[in-house]
Amino acid sequence: MKISGIRYLTKQGFENVWKNRMMAFASFCVLLVSILLVGISILFYININSMIGGVENKNEVIVYLDDNTTNAQILEMQSLLEQMDNVDKVEFYSKDKAFEDMKKSMNEYEELFTSLEGDNPLPDSFRLKIKDITLTSETVTLIEELDHVYSIRAAYDFVNILTEMKKIITLIASAIIIALAIVSMVIISNTTKASVFARRNEISIMKYVGATNAFIRIPFFVEGMITGMAAGAVATIITWIGYDAVVKLLTEEVNILNIIGTGSILPFGDIIIKVALSYIISGAVIGALGSVLSTRKHLNV
Amino acid sequence: MVELKNVSVTYSTGVDALNNVSLKINDGEFAFVVGSSGAGKSTLIKLILKEIDATSGIVMVNDYNLSTLKRKKIPEFRRTIGFVFQDFRLIPSMTVYENIAFVLRVIDAPKKYIRKRVPYVISLVGLQEKSNSYPNQLSGGEQQRVAIARALVNDPQLIIADEPTGNIDPELSYEIVDLLKGINDCGTTILMVTHEHDLVRHFGGRIINIDSGEIVFDEVIGGVNED
Repeated sequence: MKISGIRYLTKQGFENVWKNRMMAFASFCVLLVSILLVGISILFYININSMIGGVENKNEVIVYLDDNTTNAQILEMQSLLEQMDNVDKVEFYSKDKAFEDMKKSMNEYEELFTSLEGDNPLPDSFRLKIKDITLTSETVTLIEELDHVYSIRAAYDFVNILTEMKKIITLIASAIIIALAIVSMVIISNTTKASVFARRNEISIMKYVGATNAFIRIPFFVEGMITGMAAGAVATIITWIGYDAVVKLLTEEVNILNIIGTGSILPFGDIIIKVALSYIISGAVIGALGSVLSTRKHLNV
Repeated sequence: MVELKNVSVTYSTGVDALNNVSLKINDGEFAFVVGSSGAGKSTLIKLILKEIDATSGIVMVNDYNLSTLKRKKIPEFRRTIGFVFQDFRLIPSMTVYENIAFVLRVIDAPKKYIRKRVPYVISLVGLQEKSNSYPNQLSGGEQQRVAIARALVNDPQLIIADEPTGNIDPELSYEIVDLLKGINDCGTTILMVTHEHDLVRHFGGRIINIDSGEIVFDEVIGGVNED
């Protein structure tokens, strides 16, 4: 086929969108809703995951030391802890610093703290960052065997719950996303089928005058692609507005998120290009494939 | 040229649509195919267009052996045939000009040629004034003339007209057949299916009568108006 032929067929595709605007609009709406459903589910999942990740990162093990531990012993312990496989970072938190910090954070009880000055009841401690949180309990057992350990605080039960939760959420989210994708595909293929059916006469005429299948399909392909891309673009805008609104609501109104840390929610600015690209490309691919596959039945004349 | 040798068509429902039919229409001929509905006329047309395949026998059209013609080659084969339908089958969203130019675009004709050829065939059927009209703005007779121009535009060897006068006023039917006769005079083979006996009697020529899947009459008769 010559370039001029392809140009003509592409132009036909564009014109068809306008000429069949009712059907094109129907396909557009179906694609828009489908992209939004699947896209928003994925974004929701990504954010839940990121929040769980945020909580995980906060996880640390605190090792409190016996009151009479000497500086030399502390240094020795620090090197022992640093040698452990699952320990990422070791930070010494002296009893004096702990006292100062506590005083600062509870300044309405300043008098109480002043009276305690010189008789600091707080212990020295190490704060450890753990590499693999699933191995926290094993690491804690190892630390317990060291000398001068007074007590250990580790949130490994919480970690286990989080890990389990993440698995379950991944499972549920994948199921929902797959189900939505399938439902969308079915609706889209039916819509394009209706659109092609409305033009079956046109297709049969083309066949009678000796049009090749490619010649018949290219305008449908272009048409489906344009409709899909438009749906993707509009879906991006809607997601953007909706996303920002939800983030605003969560950060300003819902305090519970401040505990987990709203910092874990991805700002839309960071993902807009990825979202826009995947929306528009998947719209174009689904739109084009949907209409081309639906023409197949009518091509055997 | 159309040639059928001992052709039978049995549909999957068990109906024998054509029964051992042999037929030859030479280049440049004008033939009427008549017969009551269900006699096998449509089957004959479908066979010639390779819409269906013969159960047995050989079908040759314009030097293509349709029994062995590959699917991929069907578009190429159909470009040697012009087709006029009873219900016109114009594309409603295209103007008269576009409906006709469309056929040339299908065969990838050069733009220059399209711009010259399309107005020419429109003038042949006398619709210069309606070039930019849409099919629904035309009368039945005018629509059929557009369809004839469309069948004519890529200069086919054979034009098949399936009840071309079936949907238009009787007075205008003669005009349509006259037009087809004129095209035939320029060398194009024409096969016209009809059940209007008045029309056939008026024009005369080769009459092929199909009944119950068999050719029961195939002769040249003189028309009423011919001298």
